[in-house]
Amino acid sequence: MKKVASVLRYLILTLGAIIMILPFFWMLSTSLKTQPETIQLPPVWIPKSLQWGNYVEAFKAAPFGRYFVNSVIVTVVTTIGQLFTSILAAFAFSKLRFWGRNLLFMIFLGTMMIPGEMLIIPNFVTLSNMHLVNTYGALILPWLASFFTVFTLRQTFNSVSDQTYYAAKIDGASDWKFLWHILVPMSKSTITAVTVLQVIGSWNSFMWPLIVTNDENMRTLPVGLQAFTTDAGTNFALLMAASTFVIIPMVVVYIFLQKYIIAGISNSGLKG
Amino acid sequence: MQVTFKDVTLSYDGKREILKHLNFVIQEGTLVCLLGPSGGGKSTTLNLISGLLAPTAGHIFFGDKDVTKEDALARKVGMVFQNYALYPHLSVQKNIEFPLKMAGLSRGDRAKKAKELAALVHVDDQLDKKPGELSGGQQQRVAIARALAKEPSILLLDEPLSNLDARLRIEMREEIRRIQRETGVTTVFVTHDQDEAMHISDKIMVLHDGHIQQYSTPTTLYADPENLFVAQFIGEPVINSVPASALSHDLAGVVPADILSQAQTAGIRPEALTLPQRALNPLTTLHGKVVEFDQFGRESTAKLDYNNLQLISTEMGQLSHDTKELDFTLEKKGFFLFDANGKRIFGGDDHAE
Ligand SMILES: Nc1ncnc2c1ncn2[C@@H]1O[C@H](COP(=O)(O)OP(=O)(O)O)[C@@H](O)[C@H]1O
Ligand SMILES: [Mg+2]
Repeated sequence: MKKVASVLRYLILTLGAIIMILPFFWMLSTSLKTQPETIQLPPVWIPKSLQWGNYVEAFKAAPFGRYFVNSVIVTVVTTIGQLFTSILAAFAFSKLRFWGRNLLFMIFLGTMMIPGEMLIIPNFVTLSNMHLVNTYGALILPWLASFFTVFTLRQTFNSVSDQTYYAAKIDGASDWKFLWHILVPMSKSTITAVTVLQVIGSWNSFMWPLIVTNDENMRTLPVGLQAFTTDAGTNFALLMAASTFVIIPMVVVYIFLQKYIIAGISNSGLKG
Repeated sequence: MQVTFKDVTLSYDGKREILKHLNFVIQEGTLVCLLGPSGGGKSTTLNLISGLLAPTAGHIFFGDKDVTKEDALARKVGMVFQNYALYPHLSVQKNIEFPLKMAGLSRGDRAKKAKELAALVHVDDQLDKKPGELSGGQQQRVAIARALAKEPSILLLDEPLSNLDARLRIEMREEIRRIQRETGVTTVFVTHDQDEAMHISDKIMVLHDGHIQQYSTPTTLYADPENLFVAQFIGEPVINSVPASALSHDLAGVVPADILSQAQTAGIRPEALTLPQRALNPLTTLHGKVVEFDQFGRESTAKLDYNNLQLISTEMGQLSHDTKELDFTLEKKGFFLFDANGKRIFGGDDHAE
């Protein structure tokens, strides 16, 4: 009986893994096909001859070097900025006593219920009034604060006792020093997790960069992938080749920091 | 550092006063216990000394200096918390060094000082471990070393032993006393355990209901309780307290009539009830029944019935087991009368009146 259960469990997990991996496999396989193979029926799983040339051609099809630089700048600045503001806010909500703290927290919590899509137009209008469209400012500014991150960090900071805070005060630490010498190192795994999630989120974001940039030079990698979709149709082989080199940095990040991501998500009680 | 409270009042919410017009002096170099039931305001008093809390009214002095407006850092206090509050991500050595790092000492000086302190509290073989790898007693030692690191003007400990098991508690309280003697640091120790307080203090301050019930040496506290609350709080087994009227017949002529008429409650320490042949300074002789008699080793407890009131005695060691009724002595030492407000009006140190 036990054996059957364990076989069944592995079967389900294997099935899940295949479903997760299939799109990646399909992307890799398509990226190495000839143009006719990509739309052939029944589908071709393994191309007859591997078209490595697709990668060279895809890279040349648009200024991917420039897009890459843009993506790196936007991701790095967004992540660091957001982390910084969120750590400060989470500290205030967790350890400082000030008038209206709970009310303010409730209001912020309420904003999490507004779908992100609803914010696109007001944000766009605000930024265009600020003449920031087509600049890094537009790509970065709206993401410098995230209540989701504040909320997650506050949960973790709350698990550090107030006595620890008072102990540090008595030991001569200011709020600022307590935050960076004690609270942040004690919350390392959650901070790493939200960092990685934010890096992946920024790197992959598509809708917002598409809307606030129309200058070739300001586009990011995911938006750049549009180059393969023209009025004449989509060149799937090249699109998939480009997609592959767009996601590779994130796969690397994920593989190296997987342990922290899982620990962080299970700590905060927020199941992704 | 000598600590003085002048008319200190504290209210958290501006309505209920947790501490009411506290006045006391803690002498330099002594170990003072704040003792009282939970909720009595001990931690609040300690936090006022530390500067983590500011009084609603009144003044606090360190030596001659008014420090009422100074924070914990400026007052240079060291503090040990009930849950130790060690920094889990730092090694023992780094924990002890932390206050020194905040004070801007060089790496070399910090390490030297940390090693000295670790030796003082006997954790010098644990320096590289993280707090999570230590036992409760060892964590407590590290917390004490950290509190002593910046050579505090005063060392404050808030129920530091309550997370330890009974045997370790006794060991650690002796350790705290030893460390206090060796360093000579003025120490304030909070506890709700009277036995703990009686064993380590130079003086004990009993706090209850926002007031200092009594502030004196352990011996005085036991022998001359100023009020019924203190008499009942100090001592194990607990003092026998019975309505004074039940004794008035036996006390007539022994206690002045005007005192007897005011007395509401009588307090009788369990050792103040003895067999007549062993009496030292008898006040009077009472007659009663034996309800229960237990002897374990050298200790004994007898439950006596006197005029339908139950009295406990610890001095009936030679009682034969078949005794049903007996005459027993009420000793002068350990017998008190309290008036309707709980104030002592008879017994103990008569000069105090
Ligand atoms: N931060 C606080 N805010 C409001 N009331 C408090 C606070 N801390 C303690 N109290 C109240 O003050 C009283 C004394 O508390 P405390 O000093 O902690 O007593 P003890 O340490 O003797 O148990 C209690 O009634 C408690 O509820
Ligand atoms: Mg307390």
